[in-house]
Formats: sequence, structure tokens, C-alpha cells
Amino acid sequence: MSLPPDYSNEISALNREILKHQPADVLQFCANFFLRRLESQRAEFLLSQQHSSPKGRGMAESTFPGSNPFGTPPSAGFASSHMHRLEEEEENDTIASPTAASFAPSAMDKAQASAAGEDTFGNFAGFGASSKSARSQPPSAGGASDAPSFPSNYNLNRRTSVSAESLNPASSANDNWTPPYHHKTDEQQARLRSAVSGNFLFSHLDDEQSALVLGALQEKPIPTKGIKVIQQGDVGDYFYVVEKGAFDIYVNKSGKLEAGPDGLGSKVGTVGPGGSFGELALMYNAPRAATVVSAEQSTLWALDRVTFRRILMDSAFQRRRMYEGFLEEVQLLASLTPYERSKIADALETKKYPAGTTIIKEGDVGESFYILESGEAEVYKRGIEKPVNRYKKGDYFGELALLNDAPRAASVVSTTEVKVATLGKNGFQRLLGPVEGIMRRNDPSKAAEAHDADGVDPLAKAT
Amino acid sequence: MAAAVHKLLHPIEHHRSKEENSQNNQSSSAHDRQDSAMDRARDEEKRSLAQWQDLKTPLEPGQIDEHPDRKMVGHSSDVLRQDDFELIKTLGTGTFARVWLVRVKNARNGDESKVFALKILRKVDVIRLKQVEHVRNERNVLAAVAGHPFITTMVASFQDHDSLYMLLDYCPGGEVFSYLRRARRFNEPTSQFYAAEIVLILEFLHEREGVAYRDLKPENILIDSEGHLKLVDFGFAKKVENRETYTLCGTPEYLAPEVIRNTGHGTAVDWWAFGILVYEFLVGQPPFWDQNPMKIYEQIVEGRVRFPSAMSPEARDLISGLCTVDTSKRLGNIKGGAGAVKAHPWFRNIDWDALYHRKVNGPIVPHLRGPADTRNFDEYEPESANREPYTQEMRDKWDDFFHDF
Repeated sequence: MSLPPDYSNEISALNREILKHQPADVLQFCANFFLRRLESQRAEFLLSQQHSSPKGRGMAESTFPGSNPFGTPPSAGFASSHMHRLEEEEENDTIASPTAASFAPSAMDKAQASAAGEDTFGNFAGFGASSKSARSQPPSAGGASDAPSFPSNYNLNRRTSVSAESLNPASSANDNWTPPYHHKTDEQQARLRSAVSGNFLFSHLDDEQSALVLGALQEKPIPTKGIKVIQQGDVGDYFYVVEKGAFDIYVNKSGKLEAGPDGLGSKVGTVGPGGSFGELALMYNAPRAATVVSAEQSTLWALDRVTFRRILMDSAFQRRRMYEGFLEEVQLLASLTPYERSKIADALETKKYPAGTTIIKEGDVGESFYILESGEAEVYKRGIEKPVNRYKKGDYFGELALLNDAPRAASVVSTTEVKVATLGKNGFQRLLGPVEGIMRRNDPSKAAEAHDADGVDPLAKAT
Repeated sequence: MAAAVHKLLHPIEHHRSKEENSQNNQSSSAHDRQDSAMDRARDEEKRSLAQWQDLKTPLEPGQIDEHPDRKMVGHSSDVLRQDDFELIKTLGTGTFARVWLVRVKNARNGDESKVFALKILRKVDVIRLKQVEHVRNERNVLAAVAGHPFITTMVASFQDHDSLYMLLDYCPGGEVFSYLRRARRFNEPTSQFYAAEIVLILEFLHEREGVAYRDLKPENILIDSEGHLKLVDFGFAKKVENRETYTLCGTPEYLAPEVIRNTGHGTAVDWWAFGILVYEFLVGQPPFWDQNPMKIYEQIVEGRVRFPSAMSPEARDLISGLCTVDTSKRLGNIKGGAGAVKAHPWFRNIDWDALYHRKVNGPIVPHLRGPADTRNFDEYEPESANREPYTQEMRDKWDDFFHDF
């Protein structure tokens, strides 16, 4: 009785690997090898199940453009030996896969298909090796590095779209939604702040948004041990932060909580004070990935998705409208279309300065233009002791920097803490091109006026 | 042929008054004693559908911009019913929709072989999943863009008491997704060809229609019988023009950073997703991936794309330009718009005008046994029999939202 051919193939593949890598720990190496093989073979099997019907139809009759753009011998780096091995083995696998009968000839068509592709594009030299299919490579073509730089277990199935509730900003004045506010002590506030600080959904928030979000977190007492706060597979609407107590996390491999003593699945971790769970629910309604059960009497803070997203949306919306409003006042940019104005508003960057900061300095080369969003500032000129002007919310300065490289004509110093929206000349040009062109758009005389700078920017008068 | 097109542009009066039609629906014996004028109108309409199938010439951008009521495709029909179509096979399913391959019933001689894709949406599911707004956007965008060479053509839309219907052209090649997964990755010329057709789609959607598509991925791109692309599933498409929008939607691996951060987004999200798409074409998987979706999002907002060492410098440069977190620096969104993408060296071999007019051969031309061949589509479970009813109460509350469907 002879060994099954599949087995012999596997063993000779393993032999090649052993020869190539000369591992010190032979058993571990073999174990890893077979695990990877299993993973790739299963993935391939699932894929063939999904993309070809049992009747052996599928797309095999179409020409197949699948030549390998990375078919050149890989240099170290991306092409970890792991990934390469996977590919080559899968190519081999397909010969014995359910689609085998029709797959092989189409694989032969590869060269033709790519040749046709190249005709289409004229003499395309870049990846001229396109007729070299991965199969023609020796199995040991993989590089030596085993850095797992790319996830090789990528899910190859169709991906489903996700979406959250349709949210429309409070555009009309009568829709005065305000986020819920639940009082917290300073200590609680501080604990919450640090609990969410590592979460990227929160780390991008500005101070105002952060205060609103933290204020909206609602206390949720968990009276005893054994309460399932979230259940795997259920729809998720809330994110939780642990104030005190502890929670156990369980994952059932079936993807959802099941009935019976083992329904929870296996325990994968514990969360204590300052920990959090369920953050995906802040993005959209996805099934919970785990079940979370209280391990003792505990307290949670809860935040729901609609509140969270609404806070972010309303503040972003208001800020944009405010920026667009400010920009409308800038004479230099009067001829921008609403579309262009919204692009600039989108690109404005918010910066904060404490009182007494010199935001721009007379004589420096101007790079950016500023709009004062909140706070106050004073304008000074060399040789004059008193401020020559004062700026308040909505005032703008330094816009001539968008136009030329002339030195700043005055200094602007904050008198309170200020928040400015700023955009550099480079940023402006990247989006809309040179500002001169925009000014000339409507009325050539306007451009001249602006160059003259009178009435455009008090800072420019000195030069 | 110009005359024929002109005739087709005004095939029948489809905009008979809505009132007249709803009165017909309300009478309990809806069509037993139906006036023969109505039947004639239906026959005419079916005839014109079939004729459109024969022509299928892509319209020029200026023609697509015509009001849907004056185009040969994209109108809301008061006369068509599900009854007019024989359901042949399911081509795809979504959470609240199912797409069928259909044939026109009782068609005139020669028209029996004409097939379409019919997307059926149950009103009750649309409402339950809070997708009313998205479905309305979808119909309106598809109506506005009908006739573009690389976008699925909505020939007509209609509804009955509990369902919404979109009659689309059937794209027998199946999803680019399936070809890509089988090939694992596309070579550079193949990727360039498909990417270039997508650029033309995005240029048109953004710059002519002010529409953000918001769900670009290989699963939503079909290959037609000639090997050209058709973008399908406009469920998240929205006319944004110069206003940003906030609803999170898309596919995890393809979401743009500004969507994740909820700072407001616009058409720039499609350029981000386009970069991910080109990467997936060339590499076989998207640049940001983890089993835990939150980890994907963390990588996306950080925005560091790693490239395989064998990827050409031009391809890297293009993808880096597109997958730029700062929208004021993102290729496609900066000065020049789609034109800047088209001018990128990676596309230097593309003849954009010939491409738009479908004069360039596609790298994959599906082999088909006739226009109704479904070999390139997977098998799907049959529709479950117990459907939640669309109650009178829901009808009173919601039907107004669907009135112009």
C-alpha cells in the first residue's frame, strides 16, 4: 500500500523548506509549516467553494489576467518567505482543487491575456515579466526574512458595507439639540479622560468636543456579579468605560452567545477600572464580537453612538460654517466660489496660543494667513509703543502671505488665550492654485487694488 | 441613427400624472377592468426597453446631464410592474435588496432574449434598516447618471404597494472581485486599465454631478460583455456638491480617515478609496487590515501605507498621493481634481478619450453563451418565504418618502 500522493507532496515541500532554512528547532518548524499549510489550504478551499458553483462552472473559461506583478525574485522586505510560500502553494493547490479541471487551461492562458493587456498599453516595460506565472518559479524562491509585515490571513471573502444612522446637522435654528449632560466629579472626569485617552476615536477630539463627550457619558450601576452587559452577536449601540469593579470577556467561536452552560464560549480576558469595551458601537451598528459579564458589583459609564457622532458632527458642522462665514469677509478671496470656499474651510487648521504669544512678527517672511476664531489680539509696529489695531473674533491677518513673500508689516500678539484658523500659502496653492489667478478672475482692477494693499490689510501699509 | 435615438428619447409619455396612477392602484380590482390605454402604454414601454438594449450606446456627458424624463433611460415609470418580468435567477443579495436576472414577459417578437437585472427592495426592510434616505439617493443618482459608459444604467424605476424596483442593465461578466480573488492580483497593465475607467467614473460623478459614491471596492465593480467596467450599487451615493456630509458609510477597509473621525466628508473619500482599490488590484489585499475592525480604523487614521518592494515607483507615488490623510493634500481633491489623477505618470499610456468611447479593449473579456448567461455569478439562497408585511400604518407613515421613486 502506497502513501497518498497529497501526503508525499506535503512531505517533499516540507523537506525543501527544512533544507533551505536549516532550522534549529525542527519540531517547532514542522508544526509551524503544517499550520500555515492548513490555513492556506482551507482558505483556498473556502474561496473555491464561494466563487465557483458545485457544477464546475464559474469563470474559468474567461481569460485570466492573473500573472504575478511581483514575479521577479523577491528582495527581502515585503515578500516575506511566508507570503511567498503561501502563494506558490496555493498555485499548486489549485491543480487539485474542486475547480481543477477548468482552472489549469485558463492558467495557461495567462501569458496570452497579459500579452493582450500589453498591446493595449503599447510597450509597457514596467512589469514585463508578466508572462512568468508564479507557478514557474522554484518553490524556494521566497526570501529568507520571516518578518510578518503583511497579514497573510487576510479574509478573502466579499466584504459587507457598513453604515450608521443617517445624521443631518442641526441646520435649522429650531432644531436645538443639545447633548445630554451627566454630572461627574473632577476625579471621575479625570479618570474618564485618561481611560479614553488611548482610544483613537477620542484622541482626535478638541477640548470642547472632549468636554461634551465626557459630559454625555452616563453612569450605569451593575448591581451584582453575572450580569451580561453585552452579548456576542447582538447589535451594539453603546460604548462602556469601567469606573469600578471588573468584567470578564468571553468569545464563542460560533460568533454568538449560545444557550447552555458553554454558551459563553471561552474566556479571553478581564477588564478592570479604567478599561473600556464596545467601542466599535460608536461607529456603526455591528454585531458584538464578545460577551462581557460582570465579575462583581461594578459601575460603568455608557455612551451611545448617536450621541457621540452627533456631538462630533455638530461641532464640525458649526466650525465649518463659521470658517466659511469668516472667509466670505476676506476681500482678497472675495471671488472664491462657494465650492472653493468650502475646500479652504476644510483645509483650515485650528491652533491655540496662550495670552502674550507673538503669532506673526514684523519683518518675518510670511507663510500663513490667520483668522481669529476666539480671543483677542493686538497689532504692533516697530517704533510705535501703543498697539495700532486690535483684532477680535472673525478678524483676519497675514493674508498677503498667500500672495507674495513680502515680510510681515506688523506683529500680532495675543492678549487673551486665542484660537486661530490658519492656512499656509502652500496649502492654498495646492488646493486652488496661485491666489493672483483667483483675484484676477472677476475684475483685473481688483487685483491691482489688492497689490496696492490699501484697505486690504492694515499690516501691509508700512511696506 | 440620430433619428432613432431621438425617437427613443421620447418613447412614450412616461410622466402621466401620478394622481391618475395612484387612483388606479386604490381601486381594489386594480387591473381587471384596466383601460386598454394603460396596457398599450406598458407594451410601448417594454418595447422601448428592448430597443434600448439593442442600442446601448454610451451617452456623451452632456447627454447624460439631460433631465431623466427626457432621456431614454433613467425615468420613473408609472406603468411597469413586477408582473412584466420573468424572474430567472438571483444575481446578488444585500441586507435589504435582491437582484434578479429577468426577462421581459410577453415581449414582442425578437425581444424575448432581452434580459435585465431587476433590483427589488422591500419597503419594510428599507424602513427597518433606516435606509430610506440612502435608497432615495440611490434612485436619484442612478437616474441622473444613466447613460454613462462605465456606470450601471438604470433603465427605469417603479414601485408597487410593498416594493421598490430598479431595472438595470445586466452585466454578465460578474464582479471584478471574483476575477481578482482568483488571480490573487492583477498585473500592472490590467490594473491600469481598470483604474483608468474608474477615474473616468469618479471624474464624471464628482465634477459633473457633484456626487460622492462612497462605496468603491472590487465587489461593486462588474465586467460587462465587452470587458469594460460597470460600477453598481449606488446605495451610499449622494449628491453632496459643496456641502460636506456626515453619515458614516462604506466598507471598513475602504473608509477614508475623515469618515472615521466624523469631521465631515465629501467626494475626496472616493479618491482615498480609489487608492486602496489600486493597491488591492496590485497586491491582492488592501493596505490596512486586521481581524479587529477598530484596529483597521486605527491604521487608517494614521495613514501609513506600506508597499511591497516590487511595486513600481509610479504606482507607489499614485497610491501615496491618493491615500493621504490630509484632504487638502490628497490627489484628486487638490487643484486639478480628476485631471491631476489622469495626468499622473502611472496613467501615461492611457488614451482617455478612446477609453471613454470604449475603443480600448478590456483585458478580460468574459466568454459567454448568450446574453442571459449567469455562469459568472454565484448561487444564492432562495428568498425566505415569510416576509414581514408592509402594514397600512407603515404605508401611511412612509409611502410619501417613496412617492417619486
